[in-house]
Amino acid sequence: MAILLLGHLLWMILGRGASTRWQNLANLLAAPPRAVSGRLEGWRSARREKVGNLRQAEAELVNLRAQVTGLLTAREAQAPRLAEADEAVRLLGLKKLLPLDFRAARVVVNVRKAPFGGMILDQGEDAGLQPDQGVIAPEGVVGRLWNVGATQSSLLPLDAYNASTGVMLARSRATGVLQGLGPGKAAIRYIGAQEVVQVGEPVFTSGLDRVFPRGLLVGYVSAVLPHDVELLVEVVLAAPLDRIGLVLILPPHPQVEIQPPAGPPRAANGKAAGP
Amino acid sequence: MSNPAGTPPVRRFLLALLCLGGIHYTAPWSGPQAVLNAFLVLGLAPGFTSPLAGMAWAAAGGWVLEGTLRLYPHLGGTAFGNMLACLLAFSLVLRWPPHALRPYWGRQAVLVLIHALLIHGSVRFAAGPHAWGTGWLWSLILVPAWATLALRLHPPLHRK
Repeated sequence: MAILLLGHLLWMILGRGASTRWQNLANLLAAPPRAVSGRLEGWRSARREKVGNLRQAEAELVNLRAQVTGLLTAREAQAPRLAEADEAVRLLGLKKLLPLDFRAARVVVNVRKAPFGGMILDQGEDAGLQPDQGVIAPEGVVGRLWNVGATQSSLLPLDAYNASTGVMLARSRATGVLQGLGPGKAAIRYIGAQEVVQVGEPVFTSGLDRVFPRGLLVGYVSAVLPHDVELLVEVVLAAPLDRIGLVLILPPHPQVEIQPPAGPPRAANGKAAGP
Repeated sequence: MSNPAGTPPVRRFLLALLCLGGIHYTAPWSGPQAVLNAFLVLGLAPGFTSPLAGMAWAAAGGWVLEGTLRLYPHLGGTAFGNMLACLLAFSLVLRWPPHALRPYWGRQAVLVLIHALLIHGSVRFAAGPHAWGTGWLWSLILVPAWATLALRLHPPLHRK
């Protein structure tokens, strides 16, 4: 009982007045928990911030993925048009190089690998086309018009078994007839055995068939085989007939020789124009 | 009251506990809170067999009262005043057991005033000057109620 009373009295005496003993003691005792609590709160705050940043990053990632998917989809949707545009640019370059009245056409069907198959162009008599007009691409000669309908025409490619084209070799200038051997291949006939033909030699049109003018690239020699009194010269065609989309149609019966367009004008006194 | 063993200890304990709860929950009303504190200190605590137990209940009442009030010093002044008042009431009951109701009312009224002075003095000693309040007045006015209840709960030996 006395301890209870004296304890209370001592408590009151120690805590009376403006003394901050209890406050200091309480602060001292509370310092470790306060430090731990501060660290815990700091850790929680950092974690909350990290979680917030992570969620924000995830949201941005989802958004970016959606954007990338959209862009990929758009790119895939635009890819055919871009490829066609590239091809059109190359055709335009070819058209500028050759001083002929070309007509561009699009290949709408390509069944070249089927037996007696060919290609279908989207222009016909309505565009003034007629059979046996030559068809070329920027990479090389494609073939000739086989049948012309009202709005479409069929194309006989160079590698068709029934296709024949007048060609010449680049070095010997020996002329022959190119006949189709199947997809991507053809052979030159009527080349004399005395001719010297090298593998890899370019093959151009000779212009003698009056379908193509002289000098258009047809392909490259891939093999040379003696065949009786002549050489059988196998040729790999230069034009990618499998993936061709746009072609240029030559005018009917073009000139045998075509002159390249004139070069840049020269300045007077023999000085070149420009810097 | 001079024979605390006559009252079931469990009931007395529960009643004191009820008073503590009442002191806690009547914190928004200082008048009823002071009445409950006076009833616990001057009415119930002196009825315990041991004065130490009574003083412990009185101290508990003081601490609960201080703990429930926000703008009140929490330095044990109320508990100390409660213990002193309880000790005084306990010695009075032992020396002069109550024989009748009205003298008992008068004694409790005097004890209420002494109790209020002790609490005020000890709180002032512990924490400095503070407001008197009206709790002592509520306790004084309601002496007939809580003193009668206390006397009936703890009847003197000769009244049995």
